[in-house]
Amino acid sequence: MERIILSPKRIVSIFIALIAYALMTGGVWAKTDAGRVICRVETDRTVLPAGNAQDVVLKITLDAPSAPLHIQRPPVNLSLVLDQSGSMGGNKIEQAKAAAIEALTRLGLQDIFSVVVYDSNVNTIIPAQNAKDIQGIIRRIQQIRAGGSTALFGGVSQGAAEIRKNIENDYIHRIVLLSDGLANVGPRMPDDLGRLGAALIKENISVTTVGVGTDYNEDLMAKLAQKSDGNTYFVESGYDLPRIFAAELGDVLNVVAKRVKVTITLPDGVKAIDIIGREGRIKGRKIELFMNQLYGDQEKYALVKVNIPKSISGTKMMIAQADVNYENPFNQKSEKSSGISYASFSRDPKKVAKSTNIDVVKEYQLNLNALAQEKAIALSDKGKKKEAVLELKKSAAKLKTMGSFYNDKELLEEADALEVQAESIEDQGMTKKSRKILRTKSYQKKYQQQSQ
Amino acid sequence: MTSYRSIIIFWALFLVPTLIMAAVAFKLLSHEQDRITQSAKDALVERTKTISDTIHLTIEAVQENLVQSLLDLDQNQLEKNLVQWEETNPLVRNVFIYRQDGHLDYPVRGMESTKEERQFIARYDALFSGRIKFDFNKDHLKQEVKKQYISDSDSGSVLYETVPKKVRKKSSRKTLVDLSRMAQMAPEKENAIMLSLEANKRLIKTSDWIPWFSENRLYILGWVQKYETGPVYGVELELMTLLSRLVTDFPKLSQENWAMVLMDGNDNFMHQTGGFAPDIKDIPVSVIPVSLLLPHWRLGVFMDQKGGVANNGFLYLSLILLGIFIVAIVSGGVLLTRMTLRNMKDARQKTSFVSSVSHELKTPLTSIRMYAELLLSKRVADENKTQTYLSVIVDESHRLTRLINNVLDFGRLEQGKKKYQYAAIQMDQFLNHIIQAHSIRIQSLEIEITTQVGEGDYRIRTDKDALEQVVLNLLDNALKYASDGKFINFILEKEEAFILLKICDDGPGIPKAQQEIIFEKFHRVDNTLNAKQPGSGLGLSIARQILQDLGGDLTFEPMPGNGSCFTARIKHHESD
Repeated sequence: MERIILSPKRIVSIFIALIAYALMTGGVWAKTDAGRVICRVETDRTVLPAGNAQDVVLKITLDAPSAPLHIQRPPVNLSLVLDQSGSMGGNKIEQAKAAAIEALTRLGLQDIFSVVVYDSNVNTIIPAQNAKDIQGIIRRIQQIRAGGSTALFGGVSQGAAEIRKNIENDYIHRIVLLSDGLANVGPRMPDDLGRLGAALIKENISVTTVGVGTDYNEDLMAKLAQKSDGNTYFVESGYDLPRIFAAELGDVLNVVAKRVKVTITLPDGVKAIDIIGREGRIKGRKIELFMNQLYGDQEKYALVKVNIPKSISGTKMMIAQADVNYENPFNQKSEKSSGISYASFSRDPKKVAKSTNIDVVKEYQLNLNALAQEKAIALSDKGKKKEAVLELKKSAAKLKTMGSFYNDKELLEEADALEVQAESIEDQGMTKKSRKILRTKSYQKKYQQQSQ
Repeated sequence: MTSYRSIIIFWALFLVPTLIMAAVAFKLLSHEQDRITQSAKDALVERTKTISDTIHLTIEAVQENLVQSLLDLDQNQLEKNLVQWEETNPLVRNVFIYRQDGHLDYPVRGMESTKEERQFIARYDALFSGRIKFDFNKDHLKQEVKKQYISDSDSGSVLYETVPKKVRKKSSRKTLVDLSRMAQMAPEKENAIMLSLEANKRLIKTSDWIPWFSENRLYILGWVQKYETGPVYGVELELMTLLSRLVTDFPKLSQENWAMVLMDGNDNFMHQTGGFAPDIKDIPVSVIPVSLLLPHWRLGVFMDQKGGVANNGFLYLSLILLGIFIVAIVSGGVLLTRMTLRNMKDARQKTSFVSSVSHELKTPLTSIRMYAELLLSKRVADENKTQTYLSVIVDESHRLTRLINNVLDFGRLEQGKKKYQYAAIQMDQFLNHIIQAHSIRIQSLEIEITTQVGEGDYRIRTDKDALEQVVLNLLDNALKYASDGKFINFILEKEEAFILLKICDDGPGIPKAQQEIIFEKFHRVDNTLNAKQPGSGLGLSIARQILQDLGGDLTFEPMPGNGSCFTARIKHHESD
């Protein structure tokens, strides 16, 4: 009998092959492991030019899994805060009521539902309760009448008070705010409402804002949504309200991760420069980001620009490691996920160019475009229309160049749409509608709003 | 005249007290309304004061708890605990750790901090750079708060000890206070304190809250220093959370024309309640400072000045009732006056009627008696004269009969008891018969009678006797008042179901002012006893009433130039 003797070299080879297999299949396991968020860290190029220090864009992607079918979804604690000021009269208030009823009918018996209306005063017409007596609730919703001023802050505060009645339970807490006018009672500065949003997110309450018509304050609505990690929508007429409410509720009923905290750790020598789009904290070699909720099958990401030290061709280094901590709403357990990114260095420009990660480059460019849109709004607000148009056109040109280079349809379409927008602003100035479209699109891109 | 004077005196005696009473009532009601409004305002102001006190005490309790929680923090893990607190407590906007040597440990100056933290550092630069000491405001604020709450305050030296215990327990903003109590981290262990003491750190436990104004906006910073040589650390209060929690517990005001408004230092409306939605330009009827812990924040009470009914409900209701009362009194007076005047008129007309009828009766009776006595004395031998006298007696008897018939008919017509017997007559023949029957009387007045009959059949079904009385009354009228004229024209025309009989003369006519009232009973153009023409004032009234009862009417129209024309519309009644 012949003895098979494995040489140490062969043993190492087999071991490496086994590890490689495990890593390869591990990705597949992760993908099929329902309820697990997958964290990916990617750079804009996997091969970087060797030599001097350079800036690199990191994309930290969170792939939310599908909501498991065999487990009951986490209950929802929803508060609708509806504007019933005089300007909401007619079609708008009727559609808002229809939208509220649409939202109600999508809830289950385990969910909590409340409705707050506000004009000069704030009234809770449906206190927080299980969505059981549907007909009774609908009757009360139908009694809403428009008239008075706009106490938006009070409305949101009251909505939060209704949510708080069940804050200790494991609900998905969400306020949906609808307004068509300028807040004229209570704090009305976007920063003030942003601070309210920032305070509410600490209680895991997100506020989704829906602006109707062209007279509401989109800065305020976007800021409130942004700081509380909610969605923001702009609808021109009341007819879109039921659809928007249905889409929003689709998100809320599909939450697969709560209290998501992303910590990116950079190795020695790598410096964080900027977080693109999102808000976060750069603390030495650590970057911290917070997202309240992830929806099923959603991809959320953060873009971070880092600086890499001098490098030698042929070497490889770790660029960043991302750790994600979140709460699984199906079992209320804390879960973790992590991703790591490496890059190699080469003096061959072709090799570097070939390694470009188009997805990262594209999202980076689209986020820069979102920032350009915000800058254009700010310039227009200062009366610098020409500069605003120039900013948009410059951004459109960049998108076009990038789109043509990588033959990317989305970039080219976005560039065309932006050019049309810029020309429209050049002809008619920054209309209320243009401003709202820019603000809302910019927000939705930066925060990867799923339902639009 | 005496009666009219009586009426004037009656009205004077009636109206003057009524008006005086109305004026006094109005004055009293106005005062009462003012008193009610003032009471409502006072009650609301009192309520506002209570709310203001509650807000003050709530903030005090919140601040007290926050300070206590800060003092309880583990000094060895200060930064970690504070950051954790900032991340989880909605009441905490920012946290800081400051060394006495002018060094800010947290947040770190520069790009490592967030935008919010950089703004926070810039906002309190005077403190964090050491230009102003943290306790610069301490004594002043303490004294002011004590002054304001002197009656409620317990004895003590630190700010939060001024909160009365009984109120603290009853605070309706319990959740907010609970939030400020949220101790996220374990308190410093005893052995750690001992170690610190051993290291010669003297325990001082000093603290304060600083209302801070930056860019005309209010911020509130709380700080503590536990050890004499230890760091000063603390929190910036999130005013939006505070406000958000306060407004949801704000009492609802149900009054329609009042509003209670929470205003910040720039007079911006932070929250309002009540049925009235005041404008920022409106001036409040009362303003109460909320708390020295929220400097320049005030609670304003607004009243809807254009509120009308809502504002003066009592006055308006009372005035409506007073108005109804006065209208009822005046209406009663008017009714009494009308009845008095009517009775006076009726009395005058009855007197005149009796006199006229007596006179009318007396004249034919005198003639009849005189001629009858002559014939009875047989002193009249001439046969012609005898015939003439008898004829006069007969004529006067007829006249007497008509007069009595009119009076009797008037009574029946007034009571609606007159019965009508319908029969077919040929109207043109009927008219000719009447004219013939009175031809002697007509001829004696030298008046020409003409008759115009239109084409067609003038057969009509009506009450012949009643119609004869109508025609005779109209003929009598014409003979009496148009005797100066030359003709009386009878015209017969057809108009659908009616026959029109027009009796026109060229007499002096009727004055315009009288044309409307000639059909009133007892009315005579010349109502004096020595009037030129005799009469009872009933002829035309009876004629019209009969024609109206028969479904027709009697109207008057003046002739062009002089003269009168009466048109009798006679209805044809179908047989039963």
